[in-house]
Amino acid sequence: MNLFDTTQLGLERAIAGAGMRQAALAGNIANANTPGYQRKDVDFKTTLRAAMESEQPSAAMDELSFEVETDTTRGAMRFDGNGVDIDVESSTMAANALEYEALVAVARGRTDVLRSAMGVG
Amino acid sequence: MSLFDAIGTAASGLSAERLRMDVVAENLANAQTTRGADGQPYRRKVVVLQEAGSTFGTTLDGAMKGSGSGGVKVTQIAQDATPDRLVYDPGHPDADARGYVSMPNVQPVTEMVDLITASRGYEANVTVMQTAKQMFTKTLEILR
Repeated sequence: MNLFDTTQLGLERAIAGAGMRQAALAGNIANANTPGYQRKDVDFKTTLRAAMESEQPSAAMDELSFEVETDTTRGAMRFDGNGVDIDVESSTMAANALEYEALVAVARGRTDVLRSAMGVG
Repeated sequence: MSLFDAIGTAASGLSAERLRMDVVAENLANAQTTRGADGQPYRRKVVVLQEAGSTFGTTLDGAMKGSGSGGVKVTQIAQDATPDRLVYDPGHPDADARGYVSMPNVQPVTEMVDLITASRGYEANVTVMQTAKQMFTKTLEILR
């Protein structure tokens, strides 16, 4: 058994994906007053799930990369063509931050187990 | 694009919204100015915003992946083309032959609305920065 198994790898990727999503949402809020701007998002969960359900999960997760996508499903919110709903962005961002912190808490729990096994924790 | 870019993106939002607030202040301060630098009535200024690939990280990321951008940038501070308001005031030194004075095209109500959106936008970006900072701190605690 490897020291860093697929769960650890999946956790790392999920943390990276949530971090990237947070940056994309920050861009949406920064552009809340930019005419014609369309909101952007990172669907890291679908990408990660596909990798985890594949034949070789650890290999698939190793070469996983997430994409920032332009979300055209919502359309314009305002007369100037801006597609950012500040309430939606703020709540999505709060939810994503909590998700990120939950992932980090799990990662921390796992490293704590390893540290106590090494006799340093 | 990584979590680090969230802070740079929020910073670009902060400076853009602060500039909008500064311009609103200038417009309101000059709402009655009949003689600008060129001798003409003051013209209302508007901040033009554009989406930007602002930080080093996003630019590098974009170069490698062919995408990626973040933040907002100010492309220019333009002049509002709305015509001047004509006010009948024959005693005014800048009145024309018929007694009308060209007043700046500044509408206080429009400026107040701009001021409120700029201030709310600023607050939203502050929240983004605080959230990102909190996420960093939690991550650093993994190895503590």
